[in-house]
Amino acid sequence: MTHFVQRRVRIEKDIIARIYRTLPGKGKLSVALGQEVIPEEIIGTGQFSSGFRILNLSNLLEVPPGEIKKYLTKQINSRIYNGELLAYKKGWLLKKARVVTCPVDGILDFINEEVGEIRITRLPEKMNLPAGVYGVIEAFDQNLGQVVIRTQVSRIYGLCGTGKMRDGILHVLTKKYDLAGRSMISAKFDGSILVNGSLISKDTIMAGISDGVNGIITGGINASDYKSIAGGRLIFPKKLENDIGISIVVCEGFGAQALGEDIYELLSTFEDRFIQLDGNSATVNLPSYQSSCMNRIRKHKLSDDQTLSLTDTQLVDLKIGARVRVVGPSYSAEQGQIISIDKSKTLLSSKVSAYLVTIETARRKIRVPANNVEYLG
Amino acid sequence: MSKLPGLFDIFDNLDQIPVENIARWLKPQPSLAYIENFLAQRILYPQTIPITEADLKMDLAILREALRMQGPKDKKATALLGDNPFLNTTLRKILIPSKFLNFIPDLKILTYVFVDGLLLDRKREDFFEDLWTIELSGEISEVIGSLLIPQFKDKRGILQLRIGDKNYQIHPGTLIVIPCFKDRCEAIFKLKQGKILGKEDLAVEVYGGKLGLMVDGRER
Repeated sequence: MTHFVQRRVRIEKDIIARIYRTLPGKGKLSVALGQEVIPEEIIGTGQFSSGFRILNLSNLLEVPPGEIKKYLTKQINSRIYNGELLAYKKGWLLKKARVVTCPVDGILDFINEEVGEIRITRLPEKMNLPAGVYGVIEAFDQNLGQVVIRTQVSRIYGLCGTGKMRDGILHVLTKKYDLAGRSMISAKFDGSILVNGSLISKDTIMAGISDGVNGIITGGINASDYKSIAGGRLIFPKKLENDIGISIVVCEGFGAQALGEDIYELLSTFEDRFIQLDGNSATVNLPSYQSSCMNRIRKHKLSDDQTLSLTDTQLVDLKIGARVRVVGPSYSAEQGQIISIDKSKTLLSSKVSAYLVTIETARRKIRVPANNVEYLG
Repeated sequence: MSKLPGLFDIFDNLDQIPVENIARWLKPQPSLAYIENFLAQRILYPQTIPITEADLKMDLAILREALRMQGPKDKKATALLGDNPFLNTTLRKILIPSKFLNFIPDLKILTYVFVDGLLLDRKREDFFEDLWTIELSGEISEVIGSLLIPQFKDKRGILQLRIGDKNYQIHPGTLIVIPCFKDRCEAIFKLKQGKILGKEDLAVEVYGGKLGLMVDGRER
């Protein structure tokens, strides 16, 4: 008896792939074709204006939104620098004084007294673009400020996402079963990519945008939140690309879904490392940080039409010993190994008859219909 | 790209179903966020099958609303085919894709869902719509029974029905399925405070089959 199930590649380890590095603004690339680069090597310099930063002074000072203006130490449209005093509220009896310093260099250009927020538009600054990876320069375009580097990466394929290609230093924020609240996001994650466990809320995403976070990798997301950041529809794969100022990759599905142990463990080994993610194609590139990978990169040539074809699903015959992930409504997102496949159908409490498989997970053994698993390898 | 077949893979607009509409079929009602996430998972993985009774109820509620979303459409554009791919309004047939039985094997429950999704809120255009033939559609079509919708004037109405040598009484608000395995069955009925096919008493031949005769006395 054959049981066809869908195969979905979640991770590809140590593949040779092309990655793109782009100057954040106008500038000049300083590379040559065939040049070998190391992660810290500067491959270009540009003028960069990274938009704006929004601070909720009402929350930070613990005052009503309409009163924030009187605590500001700077006038509207004035320049302010990173670390400079932005707002101050005197202490009184048991209440501590509140001090808010500016997190970026910029211009205080907007005060919203209805919600108690201020906006600081960043000053353009000179910024160096590091290669970020070990690799070989395959192509570059001075006009676009873009460099193509052949490198070695481990690649994670998520289920869905939103946002353009972004990069940054990876920080694992929670355990795989936990969820990050908005209070866990702060300005120290400016430019970073964060790993959240089982569920990301819209509030946390908004906090991420406000604090300059570049991307978030999460196990689950509520469908309503996903719709609001991905163009209002649930169509997989997505037909239109969107960007809300942050890139999100959802790895497991909708609702609270713990990050799979395979993905979580791999991400954990990249803590404090440079990575890239593309929300619109739901992929994460984890460039190798070991210099020994250069030997493979030098030898391995890539064809011109390298695409992400592995995101397509394929059917495979389920066999004992296969690693699978549960995708049905019960035991959703659990991973384990098939230890037996029933030879006859079982009548489930839903009154549906199905061939059951027994899966041994890290914590227990579960029995689910063969239809409700996807093949991992 | 190969994909496994599923209950919902023929619907391409499941994400357009208002979650509140799905919730109205469920008791006790889960949170709207739970339903929306469940629906999103079903869109991602249409091939999965329900394990628990609660999972099945969610699937049935989604199916009812998916069917409701299919029509009525612009009548000018679909005048020959009727207003819905699962209803042939010219021949008054309910068309149930036979592959749905792989996911909901209970024919009574499946038909009940189709009647809810297609006819419960539908405006009756003439009295011929009191009687529908139910057909399993697919590579080979098979008539499985009939649906009778008595038009009760009020809650005091009673339908007395005789099929074969058995008598049945149907009150307003009830839905029952009467076995009738022959290809055609004679149904003799008499209505108090109501009509079927414009009459208070009549003898008609209806299609029978695996399902039999479903009588839907619910208020519309």
